Amino acid sequence: MAVHEEENRKMSFPLDPNSYRIFQKIGCGVSAAVYKAVCLPMNSTIVAIKAIDLERSRANLDDVRREAKAMALLSHPNILKAHCSFTVDHHLWVVMPFMAAGSLHSIISSSFPDGLSESSIAVFLKETLNALLYLHDQGHLHRDIKAGNILVDSDGSVKLADFGVSASIYEPNSSQTSSSLFSSSNLWFNELAGTPYWMAPEVIHSHVGYSFKADIWSFGITALELAHGRPPLSHLPPWKSLFMRITNSLRLSDYEKCKTSKNKKFSKSFKDMVASCLSPDPSRRPTAEKLLKHPFFKNCRSGDFLVRSVLQGLPTVEERYKESLRSQHDPQAAIDDDEDDEESLVAPVEKHRRISGWNFNERVLEMDPVFPTQDKENDREGVRFDGDNISQANASIHAEEIDRMKANPSLSPTQSCSLDDTDVDNARSKHDDVEKDKLQMDLGRERINEDDTVTNSEEQEEYEVSSTSTTVAAAPLVPVLRLIMDSLEDERQVLSNLIAGISGGHIETKHEEDIQETIAQLSLQLEQEKKRSSDLEAELECLRKTTIENSEDVSRTTYSVQCSNTTGPINISI
Amino acid sequence: MKSLFKSKPKTPAEIVRLTREILIYLDSNSTSREAAASKTKREEKMLELSKYIRELKCILYGNSEAEPVSEACSQLTQEFFRENTLRLLIICLPKLSLEARKDATQVVANLQRQQVHSRLIASDYLEANKDLMDILISGYEIPELALHYGAMLRECIRHQSIARYVLESEHMKKFFDYIQLPNFDIASDASATFKELMTRHKSTVAEFLTKNYEWFFAEFNSKLLESPNYITRRQAVKLLGDMLLDRANSGVMMRYVSSKDNLRILMNLLRETSKNIQLEAFHVFKLFAANQNKPPDIVGILIANRSKLLRFLGGFTTDKEDEQFEADKSQVIKEIAALGPSS
Repeated sequence: MAVHEEENRKMSFPLDPNSYRIFQKIGCGVSAAVYKAVCLPMNSTIVAIKAIDLERSRANLDDVRREAKAMALLSHPNILKAHCSFTVDHHLWVVMPFMAAGSLHSIISSSFPDGLSESSIAVFLKETLNALLYLHDQGHLHRDIKAGNILVDSDGSVKLADFGVSASIYEPNSSQTSSSLFSSSNLWFNELAGTPYWMAPEVIHSHVGYSFKADIWSFGITALELAHGRPPLSHLPPWKSLFMRITNSLRLSDYEKCKTSKNKKFSKSFKDMVASCLSPDPSRRPTAEKLLKHPFFKNCRSGDFLVRSVLQGLPTVEERYKESLRSQHDPQAAIDDDEDDEESLVAPVEKHRRISGWNFNERVLEMDPVFPTQDKENDREGVRFDGDNISQANASIHAEEIDRMKANPSLSPTQSCSLDDTDVDNARSKHDDVEKDKLQMDLGRERINEDDTVTNSEEQEEYEVSSTSTTVAAAPLVPVLRLIMDSLEDERQVLSNLIAGISGGHIETKHEEDIQETIAQLSLQLEQEKKRSSDLEAELECLRKTTIENSEDVSRTTYSVQCSNTTGPINISI
Repeated sequence: MKSLFKSKPKTPAEIVRLTREILIYLDSNSTSREAAASKTKREEKMLELSKYIRELKCILYGNSEAEPVSEACSQLTQEFFRENTLRLLIICLPKLSLEARKDATQVVANLQRQQVHSRLIASDYLEANKDLMDILISGYEIPELALHYGAMLRECIRHQSIARYVLESEHMKKFFDYIQLPNFDIASDASATFKELMTRHKSTVAEFLTKNYEWFFAEFNSKLLESPNYITRRQAVKLLGDMLLDRANSGVMMRYVSSKDNLRILMNLLRETSKNIQLEAFHVFKLFAANQNKPPDIVGILIANRSKLLRFLGGFTTDKEDEQFEADKSQVIKEIAALGPSS
């Protein structure tokens, strides 16, 4: 019966734009905008309309069809279902229930920058898990679990949204081998999909394939996001965070340190729950079903509790959206965001925040959970292209890196995680240094064309490549690099917007030059990453052989690695 | 306790039989005059049915713990097509819950690919029951069934003989309307099925297009390429390119690019504001220009519009670098520039 009512209700939403009156924009992404609107023939029911620009949307129409189909056929109280969808010229309008409190991401950014209380986190996460359990049972992977895709209504009900990159094991898409007979081998995906900070390691290493457990990882990251106000590594631009994930495991111990320093204490069961989701080995992560039985979700409160503890006194989504635009240098920048991130519904804020965050938003860095000694970096961020500073740091890492490798040649990223449990304190602080320096290493790459550091960095390049290749298979880097390329493209967009702003503004040309230089460096870097990926592929083979023959002599392998360090042409124009 | 003494688990064939029994019950009790007493019984049956369909799905697809066992799949498939289970399932689909409908759709989809003694017995069954296609296609007119029937239909037309049946049926004409239904989920599903029909089985498609050239392209041009609906035009011009560029359809292509009406439509599409449509239109337009045996009226149009076309093509670029596109473009420019003296 319920199904029937549902259908009747769905059918009665009119399929023509004139039946809707649009109030205001409450969110926007690269190729879509979300509006608050009313449906006139239905007693002016308030709805949210996501208008996807099919002309700008990079996704092919098959993906759009799959998303519409998923939204039409999924039916669960914790999943946002579309009332209907129809095209209006070159836009696709998806009419959905209006979730008055907006996304968790927007709630956090506007009112809980340091994260939510554990008891409200438990409610939000439990509701999300219900949705995930249903989805997985249906053979669907969401592939983009994050606070920005978890929506809250004014009554405290919670719904998972945005199936833009979701996938179904029953409907293999074109990029998969669809010719084979359906079997559980279809349970494995290889595409790189999702949003970098929330992406599971096996998604990044996409050649090994991933499945439902990738959602569980993202769920764990989302838990941290709710606890701290932002996901780990989010002070880095998305593509750097991908590299960090490849070369390092996330270490919960760092969070704990951070928490104590902030006087924010989390229960053992919460930490345990998150840790289980973030196990580097997907098979060790619990299923959604098992996770629901975790003690952390026992005695979970209800939606009413959320209304009292979180939703009361929140600015409306409209206000939050306006605020997010106001805090922007240039409202246009809101449109230029990373395209891989599907437009999040009712959560515009995150869009431009993430990209502009590492340029303009200092507050974000202050909250860095991964690198506890971040104050200096904070300063450095302001002058992040100051070469001397960075190259110096650069030099020190590699010593550390190599030490570490010598000490434990077989150290793989997965193992480095478990080390935390056993290592003594000073070892840990050393780790932190390595972590910190890894960040600098990334920055340092941007300087390799600097005259006074050329020789130095050439050597370093070799180390970098070798250290990466001992921990990373080269093949998965290709999609990652593609993503990086896109990400760089987006950053370029932000920068060009800024330049546009500057040319009409009062900021000195020096900054503009800096930015030009930055762009040049980024594109140079892009070239080098491209080269490196092809080199890596070749070297990996060679390395494998060498490692098998002589596994002790890791350092020699290291030196034997060739890396073409020639600077490529700069293709990107402004 | 109960489960401890339960008899051994049911075999795949048994589950199919139980499913069929309930379907027969549902089918024969479909009349509206059901008593209150039988209603509860009916609901019980529905629950049971949903459970069985879910079990069938698990056998065919496996689950997170177990891969599907080919022997079990084969048993299931044989029993399924031994009798009219597929027909019953399709007919009773409207009575199932949403979840059971989805499961049933996946079961039917999977069965189309199951081989028993290296034979696709689903194909044999469907050949003897082609009228089932009529039911599936008309599903596009019923919103709550369209996506389920549509997904089943796409799997069924994987069989060449079934695709031929659909192509040659009267239903083909209806697709031109289904594609433009206002409801996007349904319209895009219909358009995916249409594309599958027009591209999957090359020789059958070539045969169909040759035989039905007149009405098919008349409809295709007027209803799809000149549709007021952006997405219809965009998908249609893309599909047209895919069809004409397929080697199997070279005869059809030559015929298409010899018509000045077709050229006019494509030139109008080149003028669209949508970059995507322009690009796809170019991939068809280039065939008109590259044709070495251009009829005089085609040449006439190209010459009359030469300067405009050359100016347009000169400034026509893609967002991404595309060597093939650039090569095609300069070829087209060369062809047009080399045409006889302007009138």
